[in-house]
Amino acid sequence: MSAEKKTDFHVVNHSIPRRDGRVKVTGKAPYVADLKLIGMAYAKVLRSPYAHAKIVSIDTLRAASRPGVYCVITGNDLEGLNPYYGHAVKDHPLLAIGKVRYAGEPVAAVVAIDERTAFEALEFIDVKYEELKAVFTPEEALAKDAPLLHEKQFEAGALRGFEGEVTAGKGTNICQQHRIQWGDVEEAFKKAAAIVEGEYYFPMAYAYAMEPYVAIADVTDQGVTVYSSAQHPFMVRHDLKSIFNLPVSKVRLIVPFVGGGYGSKSYTKIEPLVAACSWKAKRPVKLQLTVEEAMLTTRSDDAYTWMRTAVDAKGKIIARQAKIYMNTGAYAENSPLVVEKSTNRCVGPYAIPNVLIENCSLYTNTVPASSYRGFGCAQVTLPGESQIDELAAKIGKDPYEFRLANVAKPGEEFFPKMRPFDGTLKEDLETAAKAIGWKNPLPKGHGRSIACSGSDAGAYPLTSTAVRVHADGSVTIMTGSTELGQGSHTVLPQIAAEELGVPFDNVNVVSSDTAITPYDRSTGASRTTTLMGSAVLEASREAIQQMVVMAADVLKVKVEEIQVVRGGVRCGEAQLNWSEVITKFYALPDGEVIGRSYIRKSGKFSQLPVFWEAACTGVEVSVDQETGKITMEKLVTVGDVGLAINPALAEGQDIGAATMGMGIGLFEELVYEGSQLVNGSILDYRLPRFSDLPKEVELHLVQNQDGVGPYGAKGGGEASLNSMAANIANAVDRAVGVRIRQAPLTPERVWRALKEKELQNSKVQKFKE
Amino acid sequence: MTDGMRIVALKFQLNGKPVEMECEAEETLAEVLRNHLNLNGTKVSCEVQVCGACTVLVDGLPVSSCTYLAYEARGKNVATIEGLEKPDGTLHPLQQAFIDDFAFQCGFCTPGMIMAAKALLDENPQPTRAEIIHHMDGNICRCTGYVPIVAAVQRAAGVMAKESKK
Amino acid sequence: MMPLRRFQMHQPKNVAEAAEMLAHYGEKGRLYAGGTELLLAMKHDLLRYEHLVDVKTVPGLDKIEAKNSSLHIGGTVTHRAIENSPLVRERLPVMAEMARQIANVRVRATGTLGGNICFAEPHSDPATLLLALGAKARVQGRNGERTLAMNEILVGAYETALAADEILTAIEIPLLAKSQRAAYLKFQVHERPTLSLALVLDVDASGNAITKARAVVGSVSLTPCRSDKADALLVGPRDKVEKQLADAAQVLAEAADPGDDLEGSAEYKRHLTGVFLRRAFAQALSGAPR
Ligand SMILES: Cc1cc2nc3c(=O)[nH]c(=O)nc-3n(C[C@@H](O)[C@@H](O)[C@H](O)COP(=O)(O)OP(=O)(O)OC[C@H]3O[C@@H](n4cnc5c(N)ncnc54)[C@H](O)[C@@H]3O)c2cc1C
Ligand code: FES
Ligand code: FES
Repeated sequence: MSAEKKTDFHVVNHSIPRRDGRVKVTGKAPYVADLKLIGMAYAKVLRSPYAHAKIVSIDTLRAASRPGVYCVITGNDLEGLNPYYGHAVKDHPLLAIGKVRYAGEPVAAVVAIDERTAFEALEFIDVKYEELKAVFTPEEALAKDAPLLHEKQFEAGALRGFEGEVTAGKGTNICQQHRIQWGDVEEAFKKAAAIVEGEYYFPMAYAYAMEPYVAIADVTDQGVTVYSSAQHPFMVRHDLKSIFNLPVSKVRLIVPFVGGGYGSKSYTKIEPLVAACSWKAKRPVKLQLTVEEAMLTTRSDDAYTWMRTAVDAKGKIIARQAKIYMNTGAYAENSPLVVEKSTNRCVGPYAIPNVLIENCSLYTNTVPASSYRGFGCAQVTLPGESQIDELAAKIGKDPYEFRLANVAKPGEEFFPKMRPFDGTLKEDLETAAKAIGWKNPLPKGHGRSIACSGSDAGAYPLTSTAVRVHADGSVTIMTGSTELGQGSHTVLPQIAAEELGVPFDNVNVVSSDTAITPYDRSTGASRTTTLMGSAVLEASREAIQQMVVMAADVLKVKVEEIQVVRGGVRCGEAQLNWSEVITKFYALPDGEVIGRSYIRKSGKFSQLPVFWEAACTGVEVSVDQETGKITMEKLVTVGDVGLAINPALAEGQDIGAATMGMGIGLFEELVYEGSQLVNGSILDYRLPRFSDLPKEVELHLVQNQDGVGPYGAKGGGEASLNSMAANIANAVDRAVGVRIRQAPLTPERVWRALKEKELQNSKVQKFKE
Repeated sequence: MTDGMRIVALKFQLNGKPVEMECEAEETLAEVLRNHLNLNGTKVSCEVQVCGACTVLVDGLPVSSCTYLAYEARGKNVATIEGLEKPDGTLHPLQQAFIDDFAFQCGFCTPGMIMAAKALLDENPQPTRAEIIHHMDGNICRCTGYVPIVAAVQRAAGVMAKESKK
Repeated sequence: MMPLRRFQMHQPKNVAEAAEMLAHYGEKGRLYAGGTELLLAMKHDLLRYEHLVDVKTVPGLDKIEAKNSSLHIGGTVTHRAIENSPLVRERLPVMAEMARQIANVRVRATGTLGGNICFAEPHSDPATLLLALGAKARVQGRNGERTLAMNEILVGAYETALAADEILTAIEIPLLAKSQRAAYLKFQVHERPTLSLALVLDVDASGNAITKARAVVGSVSLTPCRSDKADALLVGPRDKVEKQLADAAQVLAEAADPGDDLEGSAEYKRHLTGVFLRRAFAQALSGAPR
């Protein structure tokens, strides 16, 4: 099932320094915030103070007539556009139309000569609202007398990325429902030797890409051109095409370097609004959100999960059942897919014969939730991996041994109709156990945990690329994959250099310009190395095939007589490198060969997921029992990546993801009080810092070349986030004997749990007396 | 009462070269560097003095250029990421160490990180791990988990110690 | 970006001129030092001023001096200058160590002690320690100079006893006597302390009895808080006081009367008061005189 196993790599599987190193350490790497167009104006956005309100009237006259202001745009000015967008559900107006659905929703924008002028004009826009009853939690949204967020039926988006039905827009606040089921759960729970059951809460989190959302739009009769810090330029192109009713060829998205994404920049964000500003102002417009505005733009779905898991007498997991309510905020964005994914990911990387998972996401009057690194996996891995430990404790087993006995095995069809498991979790767990020192004695107040996760990853396979071999033998890769920091500008040239036998330094990348680079569905779901990597590999091979034919022509021999060698061809004594093949073929020292490839859901990619993203993390924590503060003593990551095209980059993804997961495990949480987000600034939203660095860190990769990607590679980059919150909760339980079923495990929550336990103990003591 | 300044006549040293210009009183140093002087290496993220993406050095001390008025630079020495590379293209040992240790991914925090680390090494050429963590604690990186950044600062300190012995 | 609204900058040559300017512009003007509080609040549109008066152009306010038996720290001295001052490190190490733990390097490089006190943000490290140390603020306005104790100057959250034209010119901190021990501890999860606790103890010659105590809990209420009753419980033979620490903490927490907020519940803060009073007590008595 794995791709060919090759081991004598020249370029691949080496930790080659990053291609974007020099430009990034010298401050020369361009991000959208750094770009200026001639004649460019600047926009600032007026946001709703209300969570749910009818817009009675908007008067823009005073603002529009201020010096330096070009125009003011509101939901009333969108005639001629199709103002609703969304790849899953077209529920999102580019500016509030008629009503607002969350505090912070854009209501109007001022376009002016500079940012300060635009900002100063905002307070001269007069908006009259009529407040409506609002809902903030799934429970409130489901209530019989709950107000409806979306009254209208709306179209399903064209690119939703999953095959199921869309539930949204059917006259309730339900955004998406999904259910998976096999075996007989009721029966299994009846027969179980032990059962654990509990309710868990995973918080709203903010991805904090350090570069806030920013875009520049230029709308002319030539079409729409947008520079944006977007992860998926081709998806954004699709939304803009439909908003402006233009052919695809007239919409151009250009993405330079992106200052972090982690899912938060996937799909369309501010691009429609900026484009509408440019359309109305008739000039290029730049809109750069502040971090505080970014926090009002996208967050992760928070999840309320009830779950139970059962084992038989032999310690085999026999059933799992869960009900999940996700809070998707005011607009669907990518949450329908997050619902699908989190439902699937409840099964975790375990082979469980009886499963029933029901998931429902609800519209509420809060910031829209969307993709967040891990796609719903972290939300359900907190309950899932907590219960593995809870069960192990209940039946008196070592949780590590318990996992070893239950994880999906290589090749096992543990999830009906999906790709058989392509990872080696046993080996991953063993690696983690060794690194964390699982059996070593622990000081008092310390605890260890090892947890794992397995995600149906890789998103939908639809990718194309062109690899251009130039007359001097150098190479340009044309790719729609965006460089977010994950290293695509390094990994893709490594693959092309490996295949074509040319020096890495001679391979260049042009990326993410929809007018130039071939179609790529997205840069997310850890898919780039696997899918775009495969595309680059195949396109390189296709270029080689073309050059073989050209060499035969040049050498006047039959194609079959040409033998491919590293960096060129041979035929008997004659040996030509690629440069010689091309220049001799064209009889000029110029010209090129274009290798292409198109990847779709067929062949080795016909079965989803494209790969299982598996990983383990191990932690050792200590708990200050007086304050409840957790200290990270040690962190171990094990990435099951098949083959690391660039091991240092793969490890970098793992530690980065684990640190984000640790943030949610320890302190990251967006807090709503009533209708307002009350910690909507990073003064109050606590992010992991240097001083949170675990005292010891070990990073490991397991490389069995068992993926469908190039040379057996699979994706990475999300997985070590997913298990961290559960891991910390498990380790705290093992350290101080309290089970906390809610992330983050803030000092106060830990302290409360300890206090509660003390109270229980003293009651038990009294009872015994 | 004399009128205050709306427009500030600014004279300062920028990466060792004199600058003379005017700016408005409310303009931050980041705005002046990025919008007027076209030095876009200094990044702006949180704008609340928390993340350090905007770190530049003023008379050797790290400041948050996002909330530090350009007015304050009067007569001072300002150092930005653009001034670290030598004219012959040699990178500063910190820059090289960041590449060698994979101490960045998206790169958005990197200019500020490197400037903050430079302030540290200029003052304390052989910092301990704890000193690095204390000094750098106000610089956030969302990509790397900090591990490689600590390694890069340690590596650069080693390289600089060797260079200064020569 | 988050632009600042337009304003004018004024450069007073002396304290009297600064006071004149402040009086003249009234509500529309404000003294400006490091700007780490002021500019943030202005960026967020929480405060609006058309005129800023740069106190740093007044010469002489940036000095740290030892006079008689006290330390004089000028109003515009930065946290960093305090942290690195050989004088402070030698004569009042607890102050230097407190300064080292404020915010981050950049805020310490520009933020001033005067700005910290005069903004009266409830989660202030210096305010907590200075109240315990019995520090006084020297302030000067058009009508002359006066001296205010810390509990006199800090009257509420973001509220001081300063008149609109008054400028804090210096903080005077009595140096610790040989018989005195001090400790400052904080518990911090977010950008500012959840709880700060300062303790100054006078010990007798044997070192086994406390003759006088001053405990302050900060960051949990609008202003840092102390209580005579709590302090009284901290006086006596060491082993007796150790047994009374919990009671003292309870009295102190009672006086502070913390509320629920993002930093934590009132109950938690009361509990932490006990934990940190005990830790501070142990620390104060563990080391050399500070
Ligand atoms: C990210 C961040 C983290 C922080 N963390 C902490 C922390 O952990 N602990 C802590 O204690 N503080 C913390 N602070 C607060 C920090 O800003 C203050 O400690 C700083 O000292 C304020 O001084 P400034 O000079 O910048 O004041 P400014 O912002 O210039 O002024 C603040 C106020 O004081 C007034 N003022 C200034 N100087 C005088 C004077 N001489 N006389 C009269 N009025 C005056 C001004 O008019 C203004 O109203 C933090 C701040 C930030 C931004
Ligand atoms: S942008 Fe200046 S500190 Fe974050
Ligand atoms: S490299 Fe992306 S934030 Fe540091």
